[in-house]
Amino acid sequence: MGFSSFIVLLFLGGEIALFLIRKFSVPIDCFTFLVLLFNFAAVGVFAVFLSKMAIIVTQGYLVAIGMLVAYWFTLLPEWTTWVLLVALALYDLAAVLLPVGPLRLLVELAISRDEDIPALVYEARPVINHDQGSGEYEGQRRAWRRRRESGNDSESDHNIGTSDAEVTAPLIQNRVSSVVDGQESSVASTDNSFLEGIGLGSSGAIKLGLGDFIFYSVLVGRAAMYDFMTVYACYLAIIAGLGVTLMLLALYQQALPALPVSIAFGVLFYFLTRLLLEEFVVQCSLNLVMF
Amino acid sequence: MTVAAGIGYALLALGPSLALFVTVISKKPFLILTVLSSTLLWLVSLIVLSGFWRPFLPLNSAASWPFAVLIITSVAFQEGLRLLFWKVYKRLEDMLDAFADRVSKPRLYPTDKMLIALAGGLGHGAAHAVFFCLSVLTPAFGPATFFTDQCSQIPFFLVSSIIALAFATIHTFSMVIAFNGYSEGNKVDQLFVPVVHLVAGMVTLINFTTGGCSIGIPILYIIAILTLLHCGKMVWGKLTENQIRL
Repeated sequence: MGFSSFIVLLFLGGEIALFLIRKFSVPIDCFTFLVLLFNFAAVGVFAVFLSKMAIIVTQGYLVAIGMLVAYWFTLLPEWTTWVLLVALALYDLAAVLLPVGPLRLLVELAISRDEDIPALVYEARPVINHDQGSGEYEGQRRAWRRRRESGNDSESDHNIGTSDAEVTAPLIQNRVSSVVDGQESSVASTDNSFLEGIGLGSSGAIKLGLGDFIFYSVLVGRAAMYDFMTVYACYLAIIAGLGVTLMLLALYQQALPALPVSIAFGVLFYFLTRLLLEEFVVQCSLNLVMF
Repeated sequence: MTVAAGIGYALLALGPSLALFVTVISKKPFLILTVLSSTLLWLVSLIVLSGFWRPFLPLNSAASWPFAVLIITSVAFQEGLRLLFWKVYKRLEDMLDAFADRVSKPRLYPTDKMLIALAGGLGHGAAHAVFFCLSVLTPAFGPATFFTDQCSQIPFFLVSSIIALAFATIHTFSMVIAFNGYSEGNKVDQLFVPVVHLVAGMVTLINFTTGGCSIGIPILYIIAILTLLHCGKMVWGKLTENQIRL
């Protein structure tokens, strides 16, 4: 898996760097370029696998890997891309929720062996504002963080992982054993040893699998190849899908696929925008009639 | 006209919204979520409207009355959705207050509620600017520019950005006025917002006549400033009345 990240960063990243160098006529010679590229790729592999680096470096490299793979996926023909996205969303749904699904078996095996899932995951640590001490902000902050923490101070964790960098069937998984739902129920007891055994939950971060990133990017990239309006619409659709998935995660407390909802919204909004909205908005704007 | 001009037009339409976002809204994650969800709601309303009007397009651009009907139906639908947004927000506010009581933290202050309303309005305004102005702005990054017949003195992109700025202001602050009106049952405020939205929409119809945009756009800005002043007066009154009570 380290080798595949190295290959992605080195070859795919190198190709794109060459495009850019050619387009902008950057004055660089090939030996310097090779040294820089090799260093970039090597640091990337270390950043992704040894998490002793600053989190921003790890996050940056994971985003870069996602972007590179997504760029090359957008070179597929248009119909192939859309059918591939829909098919993958359906496969993800089946693989994670059905009892015979391979991803579910993988997750259960990892839990039973008390291991981490061997995957590329993007970890998003929540930003805590220390400059607001007044009580009036607590209500709003708590409302957001109630999905990440239980009512008392024990750590909880939402784990969203993939199975492999190249296998593209992501899933969302919740390893919390306490009930985190501020509205109706009270807080059950947490099982800290369970979380510590997996080695997660030290900072209450949300983890998202890289496969999710890649396919969201492919969808938005393909939307961008038509027009900017579809980009904005698909971006909003994907964010909405992610929000819905996180809410379902808080509700169901088990492994959930991250792809289906967002891809469904994204594809739906793309085709609606392309067929209906664009004509309407262009007609209105060109005549300077707005509301 | 160039990348600089393209970025300039984009910032003209979205600059104040971006400033508001960075200073006020980016500090609190809940407000960012509110902005995103209200943007999504506006987009959905726009898609529904375009689905309804698609069989009738392209409209004959010589006559202006089909556009009048279009504007009336669109504004009516969007104001209806604003009421729906208010109802959803009310339920959310009750849930948040119940949660705050449970963890013995203070409930939502009036400033918090106004901030949420501002975030909702900002989402609407930004969505308007993005979909009506930014999405047709792509040719402006190239080497040439475009003039329409009705407004032949300034480039089309500039006119579009200016109108988008006015509408973004109107949307942002009329949401604050509307939420305040619904929560206090103030009929004047409740009617103010749909009327202002409708009038602003109809004023853009003046752009149909040649040279009409030199009349239409100043009127639009007068409406935007009026909305700003009304909102400011209302907020000031609300803040000072709270201080007197405390």
